[in-house]
Amino acid sequence: MPSIRVPSALRSFTGGASDIEVTATTVRDALAELDRRHPGIAAKVLDNGTVKPFIRIFVGPDDIGGLSGLETKLAERDEVAIVPAIAGGRDTPDPAPGPADA
Amino acid sequence: MTTLRATIAGAGGLGGPIAIALGTAGVELVIADHDRVELSNLHRQIQFTSVDLGQPKAARLAGVVVARGGTARGVVTRWTPETADELAGDADVVIDASDDPATKFAVADWAVANGRCYVIAAALRYGGNAMAGAPGAACYRCLFEDPAEAPSCADAGVLGPVVGAIGGVAAAVALALARGDRSLAGALLVFDDLRIAADPRIVRFAPRAGCPACARAPISPMATPIRVAESS
Repeated sequence: MPSIRVPSALRSFTGGASDIEVTATTVRDALAELDRRHPGIAAKVLDNGTVKPFIRIFVGPDDIGGLSGLETKLAERDEVAIVPAIAGGRDTPDPAPGPADA
Repeated sequence: MTTLRATIAGAGGLGGPIAIALGTAGVELVIADHDRVELSNLHRQIQFTSVDLGQPKAARLAGVVVARGGTARGVVTRWTPETADELAGDADVVIDASDDPATKFAVADWAVANGRCYVIAAALRYGGNAMAGAPGAACYRCLFEDPAEAPSCADAGVLGPVVGAIGGVAAAVALALARGDRSLAGALLVFDDLRIAADPRIVRFAPRAGCPACARAPISPMATPIRVAESS
């Protein structure tokens, strides 16, 4: 089944899990399924039903913007990757695992 | 053989390994950073030692490159739209090694508008990414639209070895771009967690219709499709 690759900044929502398998057949439904199982995570990715401007979503190596957006169909082994913009970390020698703002 | 020139925005954890790698490869460097070395920097900015505390990072990093036989000039300033021309007017490639979104977009926007190759590097916690940009390819603003919307990462921290790894990748990509290899242009190399896996996910993205940066580009990304390498 398809899976969603959760960026480290959002793994506080998934209990630290990096890959979540889903049964959905579109990216939009996959995110909804992810949010049902890990409430709150979709609000970090979507804003009024569209992807936030500092986040991109890929299916395999391809940006969904060049496919069918959130309606992009998922095949059995597709991997959906959520990729947020990052700037950089500062002055924390041992970064604690946990949520960032994204 | 033509001497290659690069400008690096940021002389910290990413800028250090990028500058040393490119400088010792024979690339002439301009290194820009407004900041000074602090004790809290030393765990990940290993180009500096306690002797450098209080000194301008740009000048000290340039000194490190020169001591290794390279050619580098440190400029104690931020990369801004106002300083960009002076810092990178003759650069073959510009590299963002800063830790703030506004500088990343400023570097990318200037490079796009001036038809230069560029690399935007970032590291956070245990991973990071590097985006390769070149004339005719989708740009950083095509990828992430607005720095004002990006979350603050200032207190998230980064593991020291991570910046060395991401900096090395950024230097390699920059060198390839400067030498004319466009195989990664318009692609983002994502290192999710270097404690677990060192292989990047290479993702591609398309030019975004209405991108204001691309509208100022001398070469339209819509008119010049770029062939990119197969992802690993």
